[in-house]
Amino acid sequence: MTAAAPPILQVRDLHTQFDTLDGVVRAVDGVSFDLAAGETLGIVGESGCGKSVTALSILRLIPPRAGRIASGSIRFEGRELTTLGEAEMKSLRGHRISMIFQEPMTSLNPVLTIGTQIAENVVRHLHVPWRAALERAREMLDLVRISDSARRLGEYPHQLSGGMRQRVMIAMALSCDPQVLIADEPTTALDVTIQAQILDLMLELKEKTGTAIVLITHDLGVVAETTERVVVMYAGRKAEEASVEALFELPLHPYTRGLMRAIPRVDTEADAVGTRTRLQEIPGLVPVLTRPIVGCAFAARCGFATERCHIEAPPFVEALPGHAVACWEVERVRASAP
Amino acid sequence: MTVITDDLVPLRPRFSLLTAIRRNPTIAFGTVLLALLIAIGVFAPYIAGDPFKLSPVSRLRPPSERWWFGTDQFGRDVFSRTMYGARVSLIVGLSVAAISSVLGLALGIACGYFRRIDSLVMRVMDGLMAIPSILLAIALITLTRPGLGIVIVAIVIPEVPRIVRLVRAVVLSIRSQPYIESAIAGGTRNTQLLLRHIVPNTLAPLIVQATYVCASAMLIEAGLSFLGAGVPPEIPSWGNIIAQGRSYFQIAPWTILIPGVFLAAAVLAVNLLGDGLRDRLDPRLARRL
Amino acid sequence: MTAYIARRLFATLPVMAVVALFVFFLLRLAPGDPAAIIAGDDATSEAIAQIRTRLGLDRPMVEQFGLYLLHLFQGDMGVSIFSNLPVTRLIAQRLEPTLALTLSTLFVAVALAIPAGVLAAWKAHKLVDRLVMGFAVLGFAVPVFVLAYVLIYFFAVQWQMLPVQGYQPIGEGFWPFVESLILPSVALGVTYMALIARITRASMLEVLAQDYIRTANAKGLATDRVLLLHALKNAAVPIVTVIGIGIALLISGVVITETVFNIPGLGRLTVDAVLKRDYPVVQGLILVFAAVKVLVNLIIDISYAFLDPRIRY
Repeated sequence: MTAAAPPILQVRDLHTQFDTLDGVVRAVDGVSFDLAAGETLGIVGESGCGKSVTALSILRLIPPRAGRIASGSIRFEGRELTTLGEAEMKSLRGHRISMIFQEPMTSLNPVLTIGTQIAENVVRHLHVPWRAALERAREMLDLVRISDSARRLGEYPHQLSGGMRQRVMIAMALSCDPQVLIADEPTTALDVTIQAQILDLMLELKEKTGTAIVLITHDLGVVAETTERVVVMYAGRKAEEASVEALFELPLHPYTRGLMRAIPRVDTEADAVGTRTRLQEIPGLVPVLTRPIVGCAFAARCGFATERCHIEAPPFVEALPGHAVACWEVERVRASAP
Repeated sequence: MTVITDDLVPLRPRFSLLTAIRRNPTIAFGTVLLALLIAIGVFAPYIAGDPFKLSPVSRLRPPSERWWFGTDQFGRDVFSRTMYGARVSLIVGLSVAAISSVLGLALGIACGYFRRIDSLVMRVMDGLMAIPSILLAIALITLTRPGLGIVIVAIVIPEVPRIVRLVRAVVLSIRSQPYIESAIAGGTRNTQLLLRHIVPNTLAPLIVQATYVCASAMLIEAGLSFLGAGVPPEIPSWGNIIAQGRSYFQIAPWTILIPGVFLAAAVLAVNLLGDGLRDRLDPRLARRL
Repeated sequence: MTAYIARRLFATLPVMAVVALFVFFLLRLAPGDPAAIIAGDDATSEAIAQIRTRLGLDRPMVEQFGLYLLHLFQGDMGVSIFSNLPVTRLIAQRLEPTLALTLSTLFVAVALAIPAGVLAAWKAHKLVDRLVMGFAVLGFAVPVFVLAYVLIYFFAVQWQMLPVQGYQPIGEGFWPFVESLILPSVALGVTYMALIARITRASMLEVLAQDYIRTANAKGLATDRVLLLHALKNAAVPIVTVIGIGIALLISGVVITETVFNIPGLGRLTVDAVLKRDYPVVQGLILVFAAVKVLVNLIIDISYAFLDPRIRY
């Protein structure tokens, strides 16, 4: 699974844990992936699978009282981030690696103007005078297609709609030309039409700026539209990794298959022909993460599971060129109907 | 066959006093301290001597084996007076808290429910709150002959507005909830609505606020007595004792400092109780390690 | 914005009306004849009748209230029964010490308590936090006069560093003025500081848990900027509210503090007047204190508009 040029971000065997009243939760349980410069990587999985935590771990934004990176390595442009001093980490955030979050309604500071929130990032990292920073902020607002940008600089978040606030977040994140943009469910809180606009915007910006994007989502539709490669996560571990085309054409992991089958199809042709099928959900529950998981994390819910699956965790191996899975029964899965 | 393993959580954990104490140290400490002081007040006649006994021969003696807290300028036993003083402060504190809670609850619900009463009553409450409590209390007391009952009433009046505000706020916020609307649409009668939905939701913040009112009342009573406008000087109250010790403070500081410590302890106990209860009862505060 | 201020201003009128009403009825609420109460226990019936006419107590109630309001607007709050001086003059005479005491306490309390609260929130659950909060809990419980005496005992009596009591007007020298105010300010201010520190901490904690702080951290901003600009500005509204509420605490405390330290201010005047049943003075003082409190609340309300843009627009 190596990219052509040296990857800009390398995550190796990341383990992130949280301390809760019920014990230690292994939110990320041995995740590794690479991100090449300019690439768009999607991380998919249901709520609680550890995708957001992975993102927060990269930027070391896990509150120390809540949890920690227990082990593993995160290399950005060759530098090891897990052992980096806090001051240096701070200069990376918002500058070389930026992050946008799910809730645009609450992610902007209500008492500061839009202009201030973008410009302060520029001043902090690029050390330019305030005037210049504001001008840059205005340019960024134009870039994300917010009309009347000069006036918007003096406005407050509550005067903007959800979609516009997310654009502002994107503008803020890109204001210092980061190498990597981590987008944690950027469109989940927005309604569908706005979703489409934001995703288009992100693609367009990617073309313009060449920023690598890590797009975290639970929505396979978003993944299909926007990403180049996909990592599917389950219970803190990687289940499958492939190019977007390969994943959708031939999902190899039973979980991925389950996810695909669960997508409601608005298929008028099938309707007319009479081949509408039931939505198939994946039976069972996500495993409790306070105990170490014995065997494959998905085994309890998997239709293909064998004795071995319950006892021994399958290694993550390349099943096809550029397409890797963690499953003992890949052959059987491939052979069965999609 | 897939086996789904869940963690089996015991349905009702056994109540352990030790765990309760460990999880709520402030409540525990406050309760214990308060209980101690109440015990002192209740059993004063048995543990303390005669608070009224004058003994001109033994004036202004420092604390010693015979007089644990020393004597005042009339030779009275400060220990005994302090023990009896607990009664007044606690009676005043608890009665004011209880009475103003009941009054505040009634008025608050009335305001939250009936618009017409609301504006009038709230204006009056705002007006009362504009006057500093101790001034209001003093002013009310000087209207009649001083006495324990008058002091209690005079302190209740400045404390009620706060509670009315609180209850009213809770009532208003609950009334606007969708589930109340559906209950009303379903034909639930007002009284049922009140009893089953509204009042229970007011209880938690009300109890917390009542503890603060109790602390405040004790402080105001002591202040009033200190200024000479509170409980009549014959009845030993911590405020009185301190007031009477003023002139001799420099040579006999124990007459002031010791009752002062007890007063502070009482207020502290009630405050801790209030804080602990508030932390416990506030649903927004999730427990984080 | 001006509309907001104007609205807030108008809102104070009904409150002051209630206060005026209460003050007016204060005397008449007492059981018995107001004139007799003022005259004292062993006054002759002629003296009582004299007082009755002098204070206009024989006219109809509404007329009395009208006259009362009229006089108020003309700046006439009546005449003290005992000293025969106009109430306004008495108040003006005693104003400086009280003003000095309250202002110094206010500034010192706010200047110390807010940073303490911010620090406690930033280092939540660590030693610093526990110390600050421990102090706050104690400070809130200790009654003003007890603390006052403890301070006097140590600093004035034992160590003789500061005066036991009394007040030096600023006109007679700056340092004596300051020295005479230190102990009273501390005694008065501790409760206030405790309250402000606690609310600051609580409000900051709530703000620090918000998403926009996460965003600020994700931008790699300096800690002091995140704390002081991003967080504190959002936490400000409850803090400022409590500063306003605490003014009531200050005013009550002033009455006691001036008594303990023998400061010739409005607080002492109040106590003396009430105990002597000098009703015109009591009425005037209650009005003044209430007006101050209402004014402070007005300023607080207006400051909200500056702190939180959502209120403005």
